[in-house]
Amino acid sequence: MRAFDCAAIQRQKLASVRQQYLSLRVMHRRMKFRSAFAAAILLGVSTVHAHEAIFSWTYTTDLTPKGHGEFEQWITTRWEKAHGSYSVVEFRDEFEYGVTDNFQLALYLNHHYVYANDDFPVADPAHPKKLLTGVYETGGEDVHKGHNPAKPFDSYHFESVSLEGIYRFLSPYKDPVGLALYFEPSVGDQETELEWKILLQKNWLEDRLVWALNVNYELEYEKADEGGYERAGMFEWFTGFSYRFVRNWSGGLEFWNHHEFADATVHEHSAYFLGPTIHYGGERWWATLGFLQQLPIGQAFSQDNKEFAAHDGYIFGDEHEKYYVRFRVGINF
Amino acid sequence: MKAEFAFVALPVSALIAPSAFAVQYLTVDQAQHAIFAGKSFTASPVKLTAVQRKAIEKASDVRVLHDEQQVWRVSGGGWFIVDEVVGKHEFITYAAGLNADGSVKQIEIMDYRETYGGQIRDQKWRDQFVGKTSKSTLKLDRDVKNISGATLSCLHITDGVKRLLAFYEIALKH
Repeated sequence: MRAFDCAAIQRQKLASVRQQYLSLRVMHRRMKFRSAFAAAILLGVSTVHAHEAIFSWTYTTDLTPKGHGEFEQWITTRWEKAHGSYSVVEFRDEFEYGVTDNFQLALYLNHHYVYANDDFPVADPAHPKKLLTGVYETGGEDVHKGHNPAKPFDSYHFESVSLEGIYRFLSPYKDPVGLALYFEPSVGDQETELEWKILLQKNWLEDRLVWALNVNYELEYEKADEGGYERAGMFEWFTGFSYRFVRNWSGGLEFWNHHEFADATVHEHSAYFLGPTIHYGGERWWATLGFLQQLPIGQAFSQDNKEFAAHDGYIFGDEHEKYYVRFRVGINF
Repeated sequence: MKAEFAFVALPVSALIAPSAFAVQYLTVDQAQHAIFAGKSFTASPVKLTAVQRKAIEKASDVRVLHDEQQVWRVSGGGWFIVDEVVGKHEFITYAAGLNADGSVKQIEIMDYRETYGGQIRDQKWRDQFVGKTSKSTLKLDRDVKNISGATLSCLHITDGVKRLLAFYEIALKH
């Protein structure tokens, strides 16, 4: 009887200790959430969140669980073409929700800031398909029609709204590989896009080493200066390795190969990018920072791209820059 | 051209900010008394030989991460083992109590700091391991229920227990 009383007292003590730990844990969680919220405000980040991304460009098959949500802020900056100044800062504010454990929906807003000066090669008036060597003007995809090409240009532009759906067929934790399909329509004032992706993931070493591969196809309809819409197609693939080298931190390498097709049929170019990525994942928030540099092994196939986009092995034109940096931060709830 | 560098510098400062607070649900002492109330414990750490390590990996089909295992002999029979497995972000520390015959008496989660899957600490989930022996099958989704958003944690704890049961057979039983 006495032994029973002692055991009961010990259980009560243990319950009391647990309760104290739980209270402390709730306090710590609140403090962490407030810290993350304050950090997001300081960064100029609108607070919402998505599934944890260990890569900056490549998707894994990890999804937000059923009934949970995430706010994610993307900031991508890309800069430097063959000549002059050109830089774009792109923002994506994303909200993700787990509809089921294998199906996730996301809604996001895309907007960007652009600065351009003396960056765009000029065609020879006598031979419009030939370059006027050494002559540049302010231009490019993001420069508004009617801008004086002799002057610098800068502008903020709200681009589009996107809806993203990802369905996972195989889990990398339970099946030999993870497999998911991705579908994303985007609607904006200048262009409408449809994007499909096949996502693959394979894990090793107790899931600390992750390899992912994305094969993407995108069809876009862009408003043409002459009126109407121009059709373009993009085929690209991303791949990356990431290793969790210490608690909370992973680092890796990403590779991107992009193919552009005019009118979705004429192969214009192939551009290649490589760079490191680093990721921090905590209990309630995560952040990922990645850098990509274009490799000087790009190939221009169309006459137009050979003349106006290719430069010393790099591909510029409307689509690419030399350097890309992307930062993503997510808050789970 | 300077603007983009500010966008890089700010994220870097965010990345090197302090990480999550370390929260411990149970100390070793608390876990011991939660599993074996009223018993006394004698520390009997085990350092595995290469042969034992290989045998455990072969028997459990789970990789052994550490050669040293924290083990306590329980008065009146049984073993108390503290182990850790890889979580999504951090290691998950848990304790396993084995009866004198090597079957699982109880498991307790000591540290868990992952985003999802806090239910892993619920008694109902932990009770799925009670009575399991090295002869039992322990497979996620079949013998142990998965928890939404915490597949990696559930899988690694299941594998961890499977490895400990093989550890008992090879390094503790005799």
